[in-house]
Amino acid sequence: MDKKKMKILVVVDIVILVALIIILMTLKGGYEEQAKRTANEQETSYLEKNTQVLVEQWRSIDQYSMAWKLVHSVLSGVKTEPAFNTTLAAIEADKDARFKQISHLYTGAGINENVQNGIFQKAGLAEGSILIKGDKNSKEVACGKDCVIKFEFAKGKLKNLDYSALVQFNLSKSLKIEKPAEYHFE
Amino acid sequence: MNLKNISIALTVLVFGVIAMLFMQKGNYVNQAREHYEMTTAKSFKGNSMVLELVNNAIDMNKATWAIACEGLQTVKTSQDMARLEAKFFPATKGSMNIANKTRRFEASTANIIVSNFAKVEEDKKTGVKSLAGLVSVDVSVLLGKVAAPVETEEGADEEGAEE
Repeated sequence: MDKKKMKILVVVDIVILVALIIILMTLKGGYEEQAKRTANEQETSYLEKNTQVLVEQWRSIDQYSMAWKLVHSVLSGVKTEPAFNTTLAAIEADKDARFKQISHLYTGAGINENVQNGIFQKAGLAEGSILIKGDKNSKEVACGKDCVIKFEFAKGKLKNLDYSALVQFNLSKSLKIEKPAEYHFE
Repeated sequence: MNLKNISIALTVLVFGVIAMLFMQKGNYVNQAREHYEMTTAKSFKGNSMVLELVNNAIDMNKATWAIACEGLQTVKTSQDMARLEAKFFPATKGSMNIANKTRRFEASTANIIVSNFAKVEEDKKTGVKSLAGLVSVDVSVLLGKVAAPVETEEGADEEGAEE
């Protein structure tokens, strides 16, 4: 190759090189930003979904705990409809006692205070009343996810109490934590 | 000839940079994937553990509550209570305190109930003492009240007396 052609090749190489370096730098920023953003988005979405299961479990345990307390109080005291109403209202209103009872179960399960507080901050306590049907003679009380117990009254007195759902209470089938999906760059 | 060497080196460099261009995307994707997998795996492991531990704790908790509530409905004597305990916890037995007229059942340190009876009965033939007339079942441990259940407090009025 003659000298002239060599010179042209060197110049072309330099031009291409500079262009490539510019492209490299531009894409670098773009890829880096996209990788960070997509990873963050997918992480946040998974963690939220994941934590939501624990939130649901916590609120379920709140209802479950109130329901047991209610059954025990009704059976221990005057078994009448007005007494039921008063007891239920008192149990629902005592938020400190509700937290204490949930926390006791979690502590017994080996969950430390920090984790409990973390869940409590997101979950709070179960919203609304656990009384889902409040006819004079027939009451239905929510006792957690997929759990309902029944109180029947006749002439204001407790006639029948069915809390078998509480005795069989089980969250392991209804609450599941999904494995994380594959990461997608796009 | 110097110019020839330079042009060869530059051409090699151009191909090198082109290769880098293709590789850099892969690097960032790998880094991001690694971070994502680490974070999500940690969350999956931690939260699954909480879910499972609490679900397991429910089993013992609900059985203890069931003894307390079913006891209030069906139990009359300490023998009845013992049968009920055995129905839910075949391997754990409650303990009686004849002096206090109580029967304490401890499924675990978090799951304790204490039944209070009205009187002590004695089998005339065997001399074995038992409790009869269930009055109440104390569930304060299940409610998360820290203090273990104690006997009824007496003399609350006396607190105000100074001399």
